[in-house]
Amino acid sequence: MNRVANVMDTAPKTAGWDGRTLHQMLDDSEAAFAKSGRCFGLDRLPLKEADPIRFEKIFSRLRGSLVNARETALNISASPIVKELGELCFCLYSPEGDSITLSTGILVHVHTMSEAIKYMLRNDYEDNPGINDGDIFVNNDPHIGNVHTADVQTLVPIYWEGEVVGWAGGVTHVMDIGSNTPGSNAVGPTTRYEDGLYLPCVKCGANDRLFQDHVKRCERAVRTPMYWSLDEKTRLAGCHMIRAAVQALIREEGIDSYKQFIREVLEDSRRSFVERVKQLLIPGRYEAPAFIDAQFADEARLPAETRKDILMHSPFTLSIGAAGRLDVDFEGAGKWGLHSFNCTPSAMAGALWVALTQTIMPNDKVNDGAHFATGLHCPRGSWVNPDTSTTAHGNAWYYLVPSFGGMFRSLGRAFYARGYVEEVIAGYGHDGNILQGGGIDHHGNESAVSNFEMSCIGGGAGTIRDGLDHASVMWNPEGDMGDVEAWEMVEPLLYLGRSVKTNSAGAGRRRGGSGYECMRMLWHTETYELQFVGDGAVFSYPGIFGGYPGSSGYRFALKNNDLEDVFARRAPYPTGDRHSDGRQATDLVRGDVVLDKRATDLPAPFRERDLYLSFMRGGPGVGDPLARIATDVAVDVREEVVSAEMAERTYGVVLEKSGGSVDEAATAARKKALREDRAAKAVPVRAWLAREREVRVMAKDFSAPVADMYRSSMKLSPAWAARYRAFWSLPDSYQV
Amino acid sequence: MEGGMAADRAVREPRILAIDAGGTMTDTIIIDRSGDFVIGKAQTTPEDESIAIARSAEDAFDYWKLPLRDGMGSVVAGVYSGTAMLNRLLERRGQRVGVIVTRGMEDYFKLERGVQTHLGLSYSDRLHVVTHRHSVPLVPKSRIRGVGGRVDMFGNEAIPVYEEDARKAVHDLLDEKVEAICVSLVFSYRNPSHEQAVGRIAEEVMAERGQRVPVMLSSVICPTRLDFPRLNTVVIEAYAAEPSRRQLFRVREKFRDLGASFEPRIMASHGGTISMEAGQLVKTLVSGPIGGVVGVKYLADKIGIDNIVCSDIGGTSFDLALITGGEYALKNDPSIEHFKLNLPLLELDSVGAGTGSFVRINPLSQRIEIGPDSAGSRIGLCYAEGKVDTVSITDCNVVLGTINPDYFLGGEIKIDRDKAIEGVRKQIAEPLKLSVERAASGVIELFEESLRQAVITKVLGRGFEPVSYSLCSYGGGGPLHVGGYTEGIPFRDVLVPAWAAGFSAFGCACADYEYRFERQMDLAIPPKSSAEERHSLGQRINEAWGVLSDEVHAEFAKSGIARSQVRIKPYVRLQYMGQLNDLEVASPVDRIRQTGDFEKIIEAFEETYDRVYARSARSPELGYFVTRLVATGIVDCEKPALPNDALAGETPSDSAFKAVRKIFWRTQTIDARIYQMEELRAGNVIEGLAVVESPATTFVVPPGRRARLDAHRIFHLS
Repeated sequence: MNRVANVMDTAPKTAGWDGRTLHQMLDDSEAAFAKSGRCFGLDRLPLKEADPIRFEKIFSRLRGSLVNARETALNISASPIVKELGELCFCLYSPEGDSITLSTGILVHVHTMSEAIKYMLRNDYEDNPGINDGDIFVNNDPHIGNVHTADVQTLVPIYWEGEVVGWAGGVTHVMDIGSNTPGSNAVGPTTRYEDGLYLPCVKCGANDRLFQDHVKRCERAVRTPMYWSLDEKTRLAGCHMIRAAVQALIREEGIDSYKQFIREVLEDSRRSFVERVKQLLIPGRYEAPAFIDAQFADEARLPAETRKDILMHSPFTLSIGAAGRLDVDFEGAGKWGLHSFNCTPSAMAGALWVALTQTIMPNDKVNDGAHFATGLHCPRGSWVNPDTSTTAHGNAWYYLVPSFGGMFRSLGRAFYARGYVEEVIAGYGHDGNILQGGGIDHHGNESAVSNFEMSCIGGGAGTIRDGLDHASVMWNPEGDMGDVEAWEMVEPLLYLGRSVKTNSAGAGRRRGGSGYECMRMLWHTETYELQFVGDGAVFSYPGIFGGYPGSSGYRFALKNNDLEDVFARRAPYPTGDRHSDGRQATDLVRGDVVLDKRATDLPAPFRERDLYLSFMRGGPGVGDPLARIATDVAVDVREEVVSAEMAERTYGVVLEKSGGSVDEAATAARKKALREDRAAKAVPVRAWLAREREVRVMAKDFSAPVADMYRSSMKLSPAWAARYRAFWSLPDSYQV
Repeated sequence: MEGGMAADRAVREPRILAIDAGGTMTDTIIIDRSGDFVIGKAQTTPEDESIAIARSAEDAFDYWKLPLRDGMGSVVAGVYSGTAMLNRLLERRGQRVGVIVTRGMEDYFKLERGVQTHLGLSYSDRLHVVTHRHSVPLVPKSRIRGVGGRVDMFGNEAIPVYEEDARKAVHDLLDEKVEAICVSLVFSYRNPSHEQAVGRIAEEVMAERGQRVPVMLSSVICPTRLDFPRLNTVVIEAYAAEPSRRQLFRVREKFRDLGASFEPRIMASHGGTISMEAGQLVKTLVSGPIGGVVGVKYLADKIGIDNIVCSDIGGTSFDLALITGGEYALKNDPSIEHFKLNLPLLELDSVGAGTGSFVRINPLSQRIEIGPDSAGSRIGLCYAEGKVDTVSITDCNVVLGTINPDYFLGGEIKIDRDKAIEGVRKQIAEPLKLSVERAASGVIELFEESLRQAVITKVLGRGFEPVSYSLCSYGGGGPLHVGGYTEGIPFRDVLVPAWAAGFSAFGCACADYEYRFERQMDLAIPPKSSAEERHSLGQRINEAWGVLSDEVHAEFAKSGIARSQVRIKPYVRLQYMGQLNDLEVASPVDRIRQTGDFEKIIEAFEETYDRVYARSARSPELGYFVTRLVATGIVDCEKPALPNDALAGETPSDSAFKAVRKIFWRTQTIDARIYQMEELRAGNVIEGLAVVESPATTFVVPPGRRARLDAHRIFHLS
């Protein structure tokens, strides 16, 4: 007996199945897929075929436990981002790190956590530092598997009789990650070394307890330690609930059935995804590029070499194969930069995931099966796949969100072509503004804030309905802006108003969803640093089928003002900026005006009673605005979604001066005039292209950021350069 | 329907009357001194509810051959629950309300909270953004006015109140011919002075104009944090509750006309009953599903069970609640339909799966999908008059033979079994390549599995173990599926009251006469607070409890109840400092008098916290935060007696045995014994597979399990 025990002690222990290491399991799984094109090489699904009902029962139990873990755990968090706005997500993975099922929430992370698990396996964590029952791992590194550093993941292995049978993963969006500027979407960092706290798949606990050194280290590294600590407990509690649920299921169903199930469910979902693509979409190649600006030329607080205006280029191509395959290609994206907007393939895969769960697959098993049926090309060296790990990623979302607008527009066209008109959505508005900053708050504490009201921006229009007004965002269909009284608990700024943003919705036969705006006043703080984050000089979400984009943003602040005096006189004070020109405030209050299109900037000091306008953007429209039903425009005007002036100018709808009903005769005349005006200006596309080629392209009449953008894309991608030259019929020697 | 199974009595003494006024039918349950009861039914009369209520009471008394007047004269307690107020809200048939808010916030109802666009949707629709919709505003923007001024989160005035704005706002709203004015200003729960100023100005303006409409202040109706749910709550009070109050007064008048001497009470969302005169009638917005939970609590108290799961299956939903240590939990910021509200609601999880849920096969994945939509009262394919073209859960039960097609609602409704078979064959069995029976039983298995999951997560999700719980099943579909959804869960006991179908109405009759008042406090208890700090906090808590108790007494005083009759219970809502979610604990002390009292409250909180969220989440290092204080006041009232029948032997009498019927169970056909519920006697034991039928309920005892009927007419399934 003794001898046997000794042999057992010295034999290498593996946590994988059948004596393999987890790393071997991952290699085997990838090899089987590469060879067969099917998950684990499965050509039949014996468990499902023998008993489809039991198969569904197991799935429904697992998913139920994930949803339950999220609903229960989010109550532990103190952060309004997590508790009120639901910025958390839980997922169950296979031993190799493929997602089996997930809760609702920020679904972008289902795949990012998958990458993190695979990173640990590839780097033989099983050997060192060890992957043991009760261990806890944490990750937030986008180069491993994440979008930006403020999304922090907790990963817990699930053991059954000495084998890893899965992983539980949880992610929360934390309030601050300790980067060189405060807040969870830091715009200040230019390299990894300013991004703040990095936890690149770190073992942070054992025996179900967090290591004290990890806890202390993190608390000292971020500006909001209390929120950090409760968020980490939230993630951990959720992971432990999932683990318990999986173990209970195995006790009932047996380990062999469970193992078979997690294999089959991935292949089953892959097949189902392929079928859906075939059913819902018309095959073809869809192009939908996007752009977003950041004007840093005058940012004195940035290092000298990074002070310039930049324009992101996302040359988005979606290919839908007749056999149901779906490929996304970013060939032509410009070089990564010295800013915090860089993305990684992991982030891009996450975003692809988000778009798919909202559009093609909400009614099906949501798991990594879809990942196996899609391809994603992220050219190396570009901002979607930097060829160095020194890049900053604090606000990767800034580029990521517009770049995937192309996905919604392309799917919209493909749905429409197939006849699924009710599924069309033109995308979303840009997810700004983010009111962000830090300083000493109204409780007298060091603090950082990232206001998540931007999880409710205007949605894109569809073909049979207007866009959803101020209630969702690309990265979270379950948006919520929270209560004024909740935000004022954590931010030293009062709301002087929260209202619909007139003319923010993209015009169209179906208009985009409206945005809204909040006028904020600094309160009970000596000094606080705040910044604006959002698109400014360009719009990032065009409409489709002739619909207009939602309005791009601007920044407005009124500093060193005389509001104290205004209040004392009981004189009217500003509650918004309805005309987007600052007048509503400047007519009433004297002060130093900040009003321009530099809608993303670095934190700057604000003082007591300074005003800050936070404007959440509107969504893009669908179809020609002149085709919009006039009475619908009248309703929009009454609700101040559209101004009477824009109704006339863009929709051609004239309203009665009193009562606001449609003036039929004037409207008919106005529409006629607009159409005649269009006809007068119109030239054949061929002629327009020829003229543009001469006066713009050949003359190289580009603004500096546009020229930089072209140069970068052409240098990095000869293929894209060739396409550009071919489109404009340019000589091979053409360079910008 | 006649309930209970006791022999006819010569003399009936009706004691309690409970009304369940639904959208289509109004039920009245009447309970006599011995616990026997009858249920009367009548078609609901929305224009004047009192008509249907009188008719259904008459129908009920008729079973006992009692004239309506005689019956009413003998009743000593009556409770109303109904959906009229909720329907008025959902159908937007409320009063013409004007609203005054903080200037700049006039778009409240247009913006709503984003969450209101996806509240209550299924998992897949929550992801599927094209299904999200905004609610139709309760009040159009033309009747919303802003008033300048701001109070901050500490209760300090940041901007003085602009009284001229208020004056103009009131004039404007009166010009708009509003029937009520609601005032809800930001942070008014911390400092109500601005709202009070607006209220005073409204009174002045109305006096000047010689007009009079009610003015409701949010700091009075619901002085708790979160401005949008608070606004919703106060507006619903004016919009939907006030018209309901007028209806209820008519019910009371009707009862008085019929010779009743009791004061009817209304079932409220916190699980107690309140008077029609109550200041906050909005608390009765949701009452239907509450009754069952209150009934279970009452049963559990009577027969000595501390921990019990309440499970109710109706046509459209499966409702679950937990009673732990003899108490159910309350939720402070519940969502009701598409509204976020600020009022205490008994914590009840509702799963969109009921006996009417539709069953479909996803053509791409070949998955069985159940619900979320439902045939509801249209039953299924098997009911021709329902004009349904999709298979429902009931259809599957009919196919399997668990439901007797000739005895649905006692034979009142004609069921066509062939139609059910045909539908299941075409829609489910053929796509899945299964036999009709196997397809139907697969659907039922999946359905029961999802309910079973919901039951398990309800218990485990709160950190408890099923072994320390019993489960009670009721509602029209409860006894039919209870065997399935409790399978393999080690509950201590599974209870099925013989009157399961009328249990919600019965539950209303069991509710306490109870008011509940709460106040937002926001008192911080830092990690290293001194004894002095704690003493002064204790003083503030005592004062607040005093104020809340006075509010309770004042409400009871409206019904002429003396302070000495009221039992006051104090509660504290606590969280770790900085957290956003609090927990309610019954205070172990009625006042904070000495050192250590405070610690007792903290201890009670930490124990609850461990249970709800795992021990690893404890965070005493952050300190504590008292969010709200609560006081409830209870007055004794008449409650139903539980029947106490003499025990007979284990073997049911011949008269109870109806037939042997073939039932398809899981994978095979089994002969099942069918019993008539009313003929069973206390002590009888039924071995599965068996079906116990009564006009309103079908109770299935699965193979290998047995059900024993106790002296209180409760089956125990083991």
